[in-house]
Amino acid sequence: MNNLLKVSKVKANIQQFHILHDINFEVPIGEVTVLLGRNGAGKTTTLRTIMGLNPVHNGSILFKDEEIANLKPHLIANKGIGYVPEDQGIFEDLTVGENLRVAMKREDQETTERLDWILDLFPDLKKFWKKPGGQLSGGQKQMLAIARAYVNENDLLLIDEPSKGLAPIVVEKVMETILQMKEKTTILLVEQNFHMASKIGDRFYIIDDGQTVHNGLMEDLRQDKVLMKKYLGVS
Amino acid sequence: MNLITRMMTKSNMIYLGIAALLLILPFFLTGRSVQFMITQIFIFAIFAMSYDLLLGYTGIISFGHAMFFGIGAYTTAIFMDRFDANILGLVLAIGVAVLFAAIVSFIVGILTLRLKSHFYAMLTLAFAGLFLVAAEKWRDLTKGNDGFTFRIPEILRDSTVMYIVSLVCLVLIFFGLRRLTNSPFGRVLVAIRENESRTESLGYKVLHYKVLVSVVAGVVASFAGVLYMLSLRFVNTSVFHTDVTIDVLLMTIIGGVGTLVGPIIGAALIELAHHWISGLANVHWIFERWIILYGTVYILVVIFFPLGIVGTIRAKLSGRSKSNVLEKKRAS
Amino acid sequence: MDLIVTLGVNGLATGMLIFLLAAGLTLIFGLMSVLNFAHGGLFIWGAYAGVWIYTATNSFILAIILAILTGLVLGLVTERLIIRPVYGNHIQQILITLGFMLVLQELIKVVFGPDQKAVDPPAWLASSFQIGDVILIKYRLFIIIVGLLLFFTIFFLLKKTRIGLIVRAGVMNREMVQTLGINIRFVFMAVFMVGAALAALSGVLHAPYSGVIYAEMGLEFSILAFIVVVIGGMGSFTGSLFAALLVGLAQAFMAYYVPALSLAVNMLIMTIVLIFRPQGLFKVKG
Repeated sequence: MNNLLKVSKVKANIQQFHILHDINFEVPIGEVTVLLGRNGAGKTTTLRTIMGLNPVHNGSILFKDEEIANLKPHLIANKGIGYVPEDQGIFEDLTVGENLRVAMKREDQETTERLDWILDLFPDLKKFWKKPGGQLSGGQKQMLAIARAYVNENDLLLIDEPSKGLAPIVVEKVMETILQMKEKTTILLVEQNFHMASKIGDRFYIIDDGQTVHNGLMEDLRQDKVLMKKYLGVS
Repeated sequence: MNLITRMMTKSNMIYLGIAALLLILPFFLTGRSVQFMITQIFIFAIFAMSYDLLLGYTGIISFGHAMFFGIGAYTTAIFMDRFDANILGLVLAIGVAVLFAAIVSFIVGILTLRLKSHFYAMLTLAFAGLFLVAAEKWRDLTKGNDGFTFRIPEILRDSTVMYIVSLVCLVLIFFGLRRLTNSPFGRVLVAIRENESRTESLGYKVLHYKVLVSVVAGVVASFAGVLYMLSLRFVNTSVFHTDVTIDVLLMTIIGGVGTLVGPIIGAALIELAHHWISGLANVHWIFERWIILYGTVYILVVIFFPLGIVGTIRAKLSGRSKSNVLEKKRAS
Repeated sequence: MDLIVTLGVNGLATGMLIFLLAAGLTLIFGLMSVLNFAHGGLFIWGAYAGVWIYTATNSFILAIILAILTGLVLGLVTERLIIRPVYGNHIQQILITLGFMLVLQELIKVVFGPDQKAVDPPAWLASSFQIGDVILIKYRLFIIIVGLLLFFTIFFLLKKTRIGLIVRAGVMNREMVQTLGINIRFVFMAVFMVGAALAALSGVLHAPYSGVIYAEMGLEFSILAFIVVVIGGMGSFTGSLFAALLVGLAQAFMAYYVPALSLAVNMLIMTIVLIFRPQGLFKVKG
């Protein structure tokens, strides 16, 4: 079992709109797989569909060789998938510490170790432990969201556009952390910021109009100006 | 447009035809009690239409609509009791009742209609409660809980006359309110119900519209209260009870919100239930507890047929799925 | 002075009963944004179920247990059948729960008969203490203690435990909580059941206090609960305690000093609050 996640021929609708037509990709263990594509191509919807937040109309989603399509979100999460949504989904009235405690299913040694490890990466979170989540800066919220997805022993993290709306210097920081987390977990990343994507990604899939149209190794993509221009508008 | 106008005239003809049938009915149905009951249906139909203006057209819930009904009722009763029971006194009573209802509904509306839906509901409930207590405690004027009987103008004492007067009022008010709801004003009300913030952003002063419609509803309800007194010739504090509001709510919902015809049918059904189903108590105990049946029907209507009887039939007939009135109004 | 203490104790006891009633409602509104006008129906079912077994066995403890069980079961039924189709839609919630309220109230008459029932406090709570000239009725003190205990228990649960955090987080962002592996539907159902059980408990404790119960109390107490919750601030747990005590004390003192107005006192307080501070005495964010 080299692929932690295998998505094949997935179709998904949101109300009357066809959002995903034909999504196929695999996420190998221990790597960072990046979903690229223009705005509205269906990247966020893909993550939400994996998480069970959108119904799957066709196709299969295998996680650890087990079908998870159309399971309830909490059951999918409990199989070992952590999710950082595009808007971070911080519980604004809860403090930083409480945001993390909601996520912690157990308070055993292992969870504590994971918590300590991630807090060492994000010392700000420790500093603002008692501050309501809603009062954090954009970057701190992003870090809190990532930490919250990480504290449980998840095998796969889905991270949706962690660089969105952040200042370049903060993006660097988020990037470094994800690089560090890469050592410990498998990541499926949606990212528009090509600089960031190319630095941390191992593999890429390009999604266009609800279909996976291209894939390969990230280092090859960096060379392929034509492809980048066609789908990503990067020149 | 032409087609619509033709349709309108056609439906108007049907309504007028039904009204004409009802008009000659008392010459065949001479029993006083039957006439009285149908008169009550007409009066509650007027009352329920006024509620529909709030709930069905604008999406406002009131828990104290009985207070306007009661204002109309007590004003009439007190005027008839204290002054001469003639037509002039009655006109004066109607004027005072309408004005009083307008002022009260204006005050309640201006205070709470800018807030979330349940505040208007709760403040109307509070005001209705205060009126109830006032009616119970201000014994000099109201004779408290026992209430009192009074004389009314000679001509209205005949049950057939009262029947016809109520029917004419119902028809006039029905067409008046229909005109209102089909006017640009009415369309803004529906827009508020469907999406309040969008209506506001289109430049309409939502609060003005809501206050105005609540005043119209209050005035019409108080007029229904006046008619109620003329048919009953006895008043007590029960006109202010929450039960009255709940009855009118049931009528509107079961008949069909936002249709005006629905509340009339709802009024007929609920009044018939009051008079007939409870009379079947010796057949089976469940008939004495007819509220259970009605409550259950009502719950099912709210969940499955939020358009009520008339709305559902209309949607079926017109073939297009009309926007779901109550589901659309999401309180967020 | 003695009079003030006596009236104060009466007011606090009334207030605590109202608090138990309003607490369930404000929890359900604050946590799930559900307006439940059937709350008084749960209250009256708790009262009747409790009184039924109390009359049969003479055990008030059993009465309390049965009332709570009744509340839990009815809460489950209400949430599943009545509330679930209308989550997120306040107007439909008001309409449907009001209808259910009427059904619950009429069903009381079917099951327990239409007549009102007289209830006495249990023997072990029936007597009173005398301190100086002040007479303290045991049952009232008992209610005050139970009310305080429950307030602090729930307060602790909400603020200090993970369950409380989950519930609060679920209100802020339902979807996110699910993606953390939590079955939020189940959590909300549990909250609703607890709220219903509190209403039922309030009902059974109220029975010996008022000495008589009747089916129409359902709607009355639905309305009372809403009045208190509006005064305290919709969704504010602490606010509902203060509002309930305020209403209880105002009722006790008004009944003695201005009996003519005592019926109107709740409505008056709510009217004043709605006019000057419509968000309630204790404002809640969001």
